[in-house]
Amino acid sequence: MDQLGELMSAILNATSVDESVIRYLKSTDFSRFVVNTPWVWPLAETFHFLGLALLFGTIGPLDFRLLGFMRHIPISAFRVLVPWAVTGFSVNLVTGLIFLVATPDQYMSNVSWWLKALFLLIAGLNVLFFELTQKSRVDALPAGADTPPLLKMIGGVSLVSWFMVLVWGRMLAFLGNAF
Amino acid sequence: MNELLVTLHDSSLATWVRESSSLWAYPMVITMHTFGLAVLVGASTAVDLRVLGVARQIPLGSVHGFFSAMWIGFWLNAVTGVMLFAADPRTTGIFMIKLLSVAIGVLLIVLIKRDIVGDVYSSVTTPRAKAYAVLSLLMWVVATTTGRLMAYL
Repeated sequence: MDQLGELMSAILNATSVDESVIRYLKSTDFSRFVVNTPWVWPLAETFHFLGLALLFGTIGPLDFRLLGFMRHIPISAFRVLVPWAVTGFSVNLVTGLIFLVATPDQYMSNVSWWLKALFLLIAGLNVLFFELTQKSRVDALPAGADTPPLLKMIGGVSLVSWFMVLVWGRMLAFLGNAF
Repeated sequence: MNELLVTLHDSSLATWVRESSSLWAYPMVITMHTFGLAVLVGASTAVDLRVLGVARQIPLGSVHGFFSAMWIGFWLNAVTGVMLFAADPRTTGIFMIKLLSVAIGVLLIVLIKRDIVGDVYSSVTTPRAKAYAVLSLLMWVVATTTGRLMAYL
């Protein structure tokens, strides 16, 4: 894993981060407010963790049903939880942007952040594909029905990518320049 | 620090977690602690929401899988939590509040399960189960908040 860290640092060095973006974000009043107000960061972190739990707790069951677990419950029942997952995600998007604007260099120069962003993108595209193309198919599946391979794949990709978002989010503090 | 905590602090496992530069030591332990939180608090929150009337299409008596997830998350965090505590055994007030809120949260899991699981087709909840669910959500907010604040206070 430590060798992996070195490899990723090399990858990061190859990707150029736009310094003017970092400079601009740091120059905003909001960025200065977050950095200079001691309670904002811990409060935002707390909400980031609560949002994480809500997101995992409401998207996880749907993913497991897509994989074929808990077949006695129709998939449409789990889809009712999706707005709650969106709520958790929104809390984390807002608090995440607060961190990013406050200390952009800490993130944009950190290989963990780019990996987290990559898995966020995969998770997002996966959700989008599911919502746009599989909705009617899923709602037609009754309780007790197994899921076709494509739905199993969507559930698996979702579980793995959200797990990786969490892992690389936590690793932000330990890889690259720690804070 | 009392004698027991000193022994804990100086144990080889605690020393490894605290002092190893490997990403498998402190970084991976705390990452798994966060994952355990997501599984335990996430699954418990989902059941609490269901008890409070969200997603009524999910039969209440059939959410065994959610409870299995909660216990997996709980044990993952009990183990990683002991490792993190051993590495830095400070019995601060905020840590005690965290432990107490986790204990009450876990007790509420048992109480809620006793109230709802059994009748597979049941879709109504008792006012008592709803009170447990509200208290459960509150305990997880307290546990997560105090856990997070331990990094700053």
